[in-house]
Amino acid sequence: MLRAELAIKHIISRFSDVVSSTASVNGVLWLAVTLAFYAVALKIFRASKGHPLVHPLSITTLAVAAVMWFADISAAQYREFALLLHWLLGPATVALAVPMYNQWQNIRQLGAPLILSVMVGGALAPLLAWGVIYLTNAPMAIQMTMLVKSITSPLAMETGAAIGGIPALAAVFVILTGIVGALAAPLTYRLLNVTMPDAQGVALGAVCHAVGTSKALQMGEVQGALATVGLGLNGILTAVVLPVIL
Amino acid sequence: MHVTSTLTGWLIIVGCYLVGEFLVLVTDLPLPGALIGLLLLLGGLLLRQRPPETVGRGAQPLLSHMSVLFVPAVIGVGLFWAEVCENALGIALALVATTIVALGATAWFAQRLLIKAKRPD
Repeated sequence: MLRAELAIKHIISRFSDVVSSTASVNGVLWLAVTLAFYAVALKIFRASKGHPLVHPLSITTLAVAAVMWFADISAAQYREFALLLHWLLGPATVALAVPMYNQWQNIRQLGAPLILSVMVGGALAPLLAWGVIYLTNAPMAIQMTMLVKSITSPLAMETGAAIGGIPALAAVFVILTGIVGALAAPLTYRLLNVTMPDAQGVALGAVCHAVGTSKALQMGEVQGALATVGLGLNGILTAVVLPVIL
Repeated sequence: MHVTSTLTGWLIIVGCYLVGEFLVLVTDLPLPGALIGLLLLLGGLLLRQRPPETVGRGAQPLLSHMSVLFVPAVIGVGLFWAEVCENALGIALALVATTIVALGATAWFAQRLLIKAKRPD
């Protein structure tokens, strides 16, 4: 009973932090700046027909960082002003249930081989990355952060925090992984003779999460659907497995 | 009409998220609250077995504009800039080389597994 009360108090206090920071002058101002740049970034992204190098996140972040530099605002201050955006990541993660539900028929039809494919990608990508970063003697926090680089950012940040990584760094690793994979996918598939649309999609979704999924959608409808499955399944599997085994 | 159903869908999603957070806090589960929320919503949708119109409408803006929600997180990397620079080579290798290898290997495995799965019919 006491525990439940404490939990509710904790949730309410987080929520009121979000409301009070958003309702402040700086909160409104920086939210407006961020959304304005995002609107421009979206236009550029669409004009380039969705090229991964001009992903709206990279453009918006660089523009906001430039304004922060001129206005002499620190990263910690900005994060406090933009608490609402950060908080909304939670509901956005929950919303991933909708595309997962829409792909449920696909998942059931392809069954075990599909889940196995996702697990191969879900294990290979973080283990290889961790191996490399371990060999270069990087600090433990960076090693742990590498383990979540292939799953969708909201899950990566929370899981990263749960296993002793750095959430902010996780978001950056995730987005860079996505961009690399989306750029490299067409050539990689040609070299390895991967022509099956289902396989192309699953790999992009499982290894390169949302950025890979949008690339897969450009390649075709089947690729897009299977990438959504890869993204969702691997996100859930990794977020469940890592905190339990580490 | 559309506005209210979008809003209702949105409230259901936020509700699942808050319940997820609550369950994690109460039970000390080592999992992200948002993940529990996702599983609750997915379970609910599967139980209902009807196209999730309301929830789908509420989910749409969150899903298509997710990128902007990561801006504060990515800006936060400025706080760890020194560590990133110190380990720049390893990070670059891990992000570029291993991502391409993992992507290729996964696609290759998936093709072998899925072709077998599709053959019977």
